[in-house]
Amino acid sequence: MKTRGMAVAVFLLSAILCLLPGGKALAEKPIVIGCPLSTAFVYGWDAERGIRLAVEEINAKGGVNVGGVQRPFKIAVIDTRDLEPGVPVSEALLAVEKLILEKKADFIMGGPIRSEAGLAAMDLLSKYKKVSILTTGVLTPKYHARVAKAYDKYKYCFRITGEAKWMVGGEIIPCLLEIGKKYNLNRLFIMIQDVAHARAGGGIIAKVMKKKGWTVIGQPEIYPTGSTDFSMGLLKARREKAQIILIWMDMPETSILLKQWYDMKIPALPFGSIISAAEQPGFWKATKGKGEYCLANVVNAGNAPSNATPWTMKFVNAYKKRWKIEPEAYGSSTSYMAPYVLKDAIERAGSLDSDAVVAALEKTDMMGVYGRIRFDPKSHQVIPSLDPKEGAVGTIFQWQAGKRVVVFPKSIAVGEIKLPPWMK
Amino acid sequence: MEILIYGLINSVNLALIALGFALVYGISRLPNFAHGALYVVSGFITWTFLRRLELNYLLSIVLALVIVGIVGALIYRFVLIRVRGMAISEIIASYAIGLAILEGFRWCGFKGLTYTLPVFVPGSVLIFGIPVDYHRMLVVGIGAAIVAFLWFFTHYTRIGLALRGMAQDERAALMLGIDSDLMAVVAMAFGSALAGLAAVLLLPLGNIVVEAGYNILVLAISVCIVGGLGSWMGAVLAAFLIGFAQILTVVYLGAHYQMVVALLAIILTLIVRPSGLFGRQKELEERV
Repeated sequence: MKTRGMAVAVFLLSAILCLLPGGKALAEKPIVIGCPLSTAFVYGWDAERGIRLAVEEINAKGGVNVGGVQRPFKIAVIDTRDLEPGVPVSEALLAVEKLILEKKADFIMGGPIRSEAGLAAMDLLSKYKKVSILTTGVLTPKYHARVAKAYDKYKYCFRITGEAKWMVGGEIIPCLLEIGKKYNLNRLFIMIQDVAHARAGGGIIAKVMKKKGWTVIGQPEIYPTGSTDFSMGLLKARREKAQIILIWMDMPETSILLKQWYDMKIPALPFGSIISAAEQPGFWKATKGKGEYCLANVVNAGNAPSNATPWTMKFVNAYKKRWKIEPEAYGSSTSYMAPYVLKDAIERAGSLDSDAVVAALEKTDMMGVYGRIRFDPKSHQVIPSLDPKEGAVGTIFQWQAGKRVVVFPKSIAVGEIKLPPWMK
Repeated sequence: MEILIYGLINSVNLALIALGFALVYGISRLPNFAHGALYVVSGFITWTFLRRLELNYLLSIVLALVIVGIVGALIYRFVLIRVRGMAISEIIASYAIGLAILEGFRWCGFKGLTYTLPVFVPGSVLIFGIPVDYHRMLVVGIGAAIVAFLWFFTHYTRIGLALRGMAQDERAALMLGIDSDLMAVVAMAFGSALAGLAAVLLLPLGNIVVEAGYNILVLAISVCIVGGLGSWMGAVLAAFLIGFAQILTVVYLGAHYQMVVALLAIILTLIVRPSGLFGRQKELEERV
């Protein structure tokens, strides 16, 4: 009698689960998304949160329609540790291969994050014919240039986040020129991290700004990953009467740099082309406000609150509700959008076949968190723009009175750039 | 002038980082490769007392130093004592403990920018036109006081003299009734507390991050090798050599060569004078 009662209860429970939204999808074989991410760093954990949030939302609404069958997404994350100092690229490659072979990932999403690791992983993706959508890191323009150059080999690689070439030419330099014009500043000092994207980015900015008539002080100061003392560089900036310090570093120690900048009262505006510490909402508390006036580029809209598109604040609020904090750094909004873009492509392709999904991804055209999302069909790079109606829009904000105030581009700006009082 | 000021600050920082490692090796001939982990542990314990339990800052520091000292003593008493005298096993065991501690913190979610300690005195002052913040000046003063204290402690206290006796000749010390295991426990506790002291002095200038544990270990080892393993006065002198060399490298060659200085110093010392500046373990071979 007791056994029969149990059986009835199990049957009823199963029936209820099947009737719940997404219940049918959850019963089907999941589509595995493998995420190789450096999870101890903000770019890693924030990307994971973005992907998880989107996957939870998609699964709650019934999952993905694959040729008439509703299937859920399932995430498998492996820590690549590629953002950690001294960890070789081979670690990230092992993680990618493990996701493909052991976790049976149908798609790769997220990283690897470090440019060097991302470039090296392209051959693995090509070998296993796995469609990958990069959502964070890997800013090097070489990534999409390689796809364009050897399309048949690298056609499985897509990048839904910004890249250094556009970031520099389309956003950072126009923003610097705007600040220069507004406050009559033209002396630039560059401090960068010893990694491929920062060296390339810092070098290009130096060259272009010289051509624009600015004085670029010396060569870019290069710091190894994990540096904890920037005093000599800052003193040089002060001695050489720099007016803007351009920082391109993705290590958390950048908070030390900004604390030193404040303590020394260096009369130059810190401009983070990439500055991981200052991107995070916790930065204000961590530095006790010493990072005020620091500008930070978070690559795409939605990584800091703004009204770029109707979906931007919807995402920010959903993220805040789920993770009890605002999106923390670049790679959050792009990581959130990637499962939606993949879902859309799979549904149009009607299968999980890599070549069919590649063809469908190339035809992607949807309005997302950071503007209109389309891929260049030859290079598979998301098409950028300063107007969210036309393409993926970027974001540069400034810390003002404890808030991340978006100041560039004008189309989504909510405030004006300010100088610290000791510069006036 | 900025080379002199920041060279001095950098040297004192390095000396603080290395003193605990040098002391433990000097007395018990034990290379404590968990040194970096104990540095990070001190930071997290202080942070927990200060931010979570909202204790007084000074009390949090004192409690953290006591706890880290006890942790160091326990590591010796329950693990390292079993492999004492087997150099490779000592390195493997202590490094494994350090690795487990650091990766344990990472696994428990201690990552990101959240973990910071306040500076003791906010603000900065111009010295010969060079801006220096009060906290760094205080660290230099405390560093000098610690060196003076260590000298006094090892020359004028019973425990200090016993530790020196152990360091000079363990068998002779045993014949005089000095308990070598007890002294090694004391040395490990003291060395761990010194790692903790370096942490609470230096971490307010940055963040408490797991990765710092590995960097601190590399710096401590390089200073101790150059100074001569086992000689804490040698470690202080080596800290000044490496500290100024790093600053000169940053100024004249570039900041990205800064870490190379410490590693190059290890290689050069091992080639030219394996005992280091004040070490004695290879003295005979070097003379011959």
